[in-house]
Amino acid sequence: MSSVALRELTKQYAGNAALSLDSVNLEVAHGEFVCLVGPSGCGKTTALRMIAGLESVTSGDIEIGDRVVNDLSPRDRDIALVFQSYALYPHMTVFDNMSFGLKLRKVPKDEIKAAVTDAARILDLELYLDRKPAQLSGGQRQRVALGRAIVRNPAAFLMDEPLSNLDAKLRVQTRAEIARLHHRLGATMIYVTHDQVEAMTMADRIAVINLGKLEQVGSPRELYDRPANQFVAGFIGSPSMNFVPMHVESIEGGIRVVSAGGDMDVILDDVESAMIRSAGVSDVVLGIRPEHIDNQPRSGRGLQLRASVEVIEFLGNDEHVHLSSGSHELVAIVDARTPLTIGDTLTLSASIEAIHFFHPETGVALK
Amino acid sequence: MTSLTAEGLKVTAPRARQHGWWRRNWVSLAFIAPGIIWLLAIVVYPTIATIRFSLYNESATKFVGLHNFASVFSTDTILTAFKNNVVWVLIFPFFVTFIGLMVAVLTERIRWATAFKAVIVMPIVFSTTASALVWRTIFDLDPHVGVVNAIEQTVSDWFSTPGAYPLNSAIGQTAVSLASFNATGAPGGLLVSKSAVQPGGTVMMGLTRISSATLQTLGAKTPVAPQTIAGGIAGLVWNDFSPSQTSNTTTIVSDEHGLPNLRLSLVNSTGSSVASTVTNSSGDFSFSHVAPGSYHVEVLASNFQTSFVGTFWLGSQSITPTSGLNQTAQSLLSVPLIDLAMIISYIWIWAGFAMVLIGAGLAALNREVLEAAEIDGATEWQTLRRVTIPMLAPVLTVVFVTMVINVLKVFDIILNMAPGSSQGPATTLALSIYNDGFTGGIHSGVASAIAVILFLLVVPVMFWNLRKIKGGSP
Amino acid sequence: MTIDAPVKESRVGGGLAKRLHLSKAVVNVILALVAIFWLVPTISLLVISLRPESLFGVSGWWKVFTDPSQLTFGNYSTIFSQGFATGGVLDSLVTSLEITIPATLLVTGISSLAAYSLVFGSWRGRDMIFFGIVGLMVVPLQVALIPVVQLYREMGNLFGLNPYGTIPGVIIFHVAFGLPFGIFLMRNFLTGIPKDLLEAGRIEGAGEWKIFYRIVLPLALPAIASLAIFQFIWVWNDLLVALVFLGGNVHSPLTIFLYDQTRSLAANYWIVSTGAVVSIFVPLIVFFSFQRYFVRGVLAGAVK
Repeated sequence: MSSVALRELTKQYAGNAALSLDSVNLEVAHGEFVCLVGPSGCGKTTALRMIAGLESVTSGDIEIGDRVVNDLSPRDRDIALVFQSYALYPHMTVFDNMSFGLKLRKVPKDEIKAAVTDAARILDLELYLDRKPAQLSGGQRQRVALGRAIVRNPAAFLMDEPLSNLDAKLRVQTRAEIARLHHRLGATMIYVTHDQVEAMTMADRIAVINLGKLEQVGSPRELYDRPANQFVAGFIGSPSMNFVPMHVESIEGGIRVVSAGGDMDVILDDVESAMIRSAGVSDVVLGIRPEHIDNQPRSGRGLQLRASVEVIEFLGNDEHVHLSSGSHELVAIVDARTPLTIGDTLTLSASIEAIHFFHPETGVALK
Repeated sequence: MTSLTAEGLKVTAPRARQHGWWRRNWVSLAFIAPGIIWLLAIVVYPTIATIRFSLYNESATKFVGLHNFASVFSTDTILTAFKNNVVWVLIFPFFVTFIGLMVAVLTERIRWATAFKAVIVMPIVFSTTASALVWRTIFDLDPHVGVVNAIEQTVSDWFSTPGAYPLNSAIGQTAVSLASFNATGAPGGLLVSKSAVQPGGTVMMGLTRISSATLQTLGAKTPVAPQTIAGGIAGLVWNDFSPSQTSNTTTIVSDEHGLPNLRLSLVNSTGSSVASTVTNSSGDFSFSHVAPGSYHVEVLASNFQTSFVGTFWLGSQSITPTSGLNQTAQSLLSVPLIDLAMIISYIWIWAGFAMVLIGAGLAALNREVLEAAEIDGATEWQTLRRVTIPMLAPVLTVVFVTMVINVLKVFDIILNMAPGSSQGPATTLALSIYNDGFTGGIHSGVASAIAVILFLLVVPVMFWNLRKIKGGSP
Repeated sequence: MTIDAPVKESRVGGGLAKRLHLSKAVVNVILALVAIFWLVPTISLLVISLRPESLFGVSGWWKVFTDPSQLTFGNYSTIFSQGFATGGVLDSLVTSLEITIPATLLVTGISSLAAYSLVFGSWRGRDMIFFGIVGLMVVPLQVALIPVVQLYREMGNLFGLNPYGTIPGVIIFHVAFGLPFGIFLMRNFLTGIPKDLLEAGRIEGAGEWKIFYRIVLPLALPAIASLAIFQFIWVWNDLLVALVFLGGNVHSPLTIFLYDQTRSLAANYWIVSTGAVVSIFVPLIVFFSFQRYFVRGVLAGAVK
């Protein structure tokens, strides 16, 4: 029983009118790996620290297992937290760092030794147990921080941007290591990051938070394929989704969606027309991912646009092409072998399945 | 630093190049020259001269080797100074660091931290002279001046209220010794009338050795012989001492005084109290409606309750037992009470310094480490003891060492806080240098020897500082 | 999951918030008591100076809280009515300023110049000189007293100018013992100034003095402020140096004024307390106006 649940969880800091966290509901099942992701200052770290017991709850409940833990101090919550700065005790050896929590709980010495040796083996730290944190590399410190959490065998692992202090290469490596660790331990993990790539690659499910509000929860694929709103659509995926405000026009036998200058238009089928009509809007925001733009004219339904090439970023296998279509800027990913030069005018398209429509005011995806 | 080859080049450089070096650097050298010259003349040279003086006689005319050092260690007054410095070093730096730490940790949790810190830091900007004077009144023996003794008095009065006629315990005065006429002592430290009295009768009791100051304070008036009252007992208690008729001890004389505010009790033949009263300003009293019988009048013991005697905080009485020791052993082993009073005052001055430094150290700590301890299950106390304090160790060491150096040189507070009678017992090395070297003409020998010892005591810190700065970033 | 009975119990019985609240109240009470303890001496000094002399020793100063009518400026008007007469409080106030202001200016000026040379100069041995100066920071000034008195006499014999017993004599000594810390503090600050700025100045044709005066000094103002305040308070509060080097001068600084009065404490306490208030008034103003700089100076001096 080590599920974690947030119910209408709200946080308001004293002297601050805005809510840092606004009625967040989230259930994390036993053994699940959930990422809280969002831009910096969105409240994701606040949420994590509230689960850990480092921040008080303004309203709502936090449940770990089957207990409401709102009023429990961190030590009574049976959780472990891996900090962004690792927060190792600088005056203690690696062994003492990892065993501190167990010593405080008066676990017998031989059990402590066994637990620490075990964790050190998993994390490849056996040779460093007598060193102090200052004598370790960044990656090793990171692993000590993980080890400190593992030896405690907690109901849930909480991680606050644990990879942000590592260099790019080590980050990718440790990412895999954490994922492996998760499978091996089968433990519940809640992982905070601002990096959607980290979230996409590691999480069973992702919770996207913005301005204190939970925008969407779902598997990485769900978030990518069916973003609930413009924010999630823009946040997930890199380079991020293109958004273009479009006008809805009634035409004979249906409706047409067209951009201001007329350089972009979408031909809809009956289902989509009905969807837009039922939303009762005269304007929509069109969303299209760069990787879904094809360098060829439209065949059948879907989006077609005329655009000129402004900037080409060569990335090896493919190229990011910055386009200008009328007054709108777009990015498209094209095969690197496509012969393109700046100033070229292209006719591009996207299939109707790849297109998203959002309400122009609320940003909610139209379905 | 220039490399070895560059140095080699410079040594063999042709004259023209040396000329160029001058031209490039003369402004820079001119900038540092005043500072260097000043330091060489007033700090470096005198330090060396003092070392030299310490090996010469008092008028610096004859080399005497280590003779001055020998006299330092064989002179009781200087040994006293050493002892006091040791007392200061053992007590003061620890408590200042400890209090600074506690206060710095606690201030992090209050909203009025800024105001609080200002209050604690403020005494650092006062001169030690002024602070010493303030504390001198705070520890004053007179409870009408010193707060500490006033508080002691209040507390002591809760447990035993002094009477209007307190006995002088210092000279072993007893209640019986006050009895003069028709009065005698009784168990429990009270006085009782010798003669029995019946309702309608009068009783007179004479006491003596009551100080005129007491009489004046109480507003005592000329005594009047008591008038009988029907069915009651009237009486008088007076100070049976006449300056004009010193031998008259039985009758009232006009320059005698009644004794006001005396608490009296009427006791029947079985010895139990039946009524009580208080004398008026001329010493008269009366009990009305007294049942027939034979009575005695008691002057209650509470009237003579000894008054409060303050603690002489600024005195030289030793806290440690030193009776039976010889002079030198006393110099080395006695801890005069004033040392404690001065250390308390000095903590008041310097705790702000410790708090500011430790507070800055705390603010620089990685908060997440403290939170990690909380998550690991440490209570606040365990976090403080096992995580916060070890992490603060470098700062705490700096505060501690700084305070050790500070009290090695402690001077102003003793000169200003200790009354003349305590100056000697409370002296320190710095004060000895001043007294030996400058009061009554300049004497360089022994004073220089003490200064050299003081200097040697701070030399380790000098190297410690240097190592820290070489190791640190700047 | 529904909120069931045991959960509710844990909430009612629990109370992280409650416990924290309680301990917070305890902390507030403890610190309030500490603050009161720290304020009592200052308040007592102030009250004693504002009570008539005749009440001293008759009733405690704290009686003023039940009888505020005891308060009077009588003591102040008495000591100020003497004006600037030699030996009075105002004369001492002026003497204190005459010592403190030049000593402060000299230390900040000379330290800034020296630190500039140590940081931006290119001559060899700068580090050695700096380490030497750091070493001097802990030298107890008692070590230098006797030889400097003799040095002053020699100066009298040689040039007819004996600084002993004069205000310059006191200043010279204060400056010498203020310099190590001053140079240390200024150097640490100046190392933080990018050398590029000076190079830019040189390229524009500024000479060394102009770079120092126009570029470095304005940037170093916070450090100069810290040093100046520190030095000011240090010299203002000194008793020993003035006692030794002013020997017998009729004008004495406030610390000596107070020291002289204490020798007959009981008789002169009204002057002592009033004079002490006057003496702490100036540093208090400095402290409250520049508290931030003062604290910074304390932090910078931690190594001292």
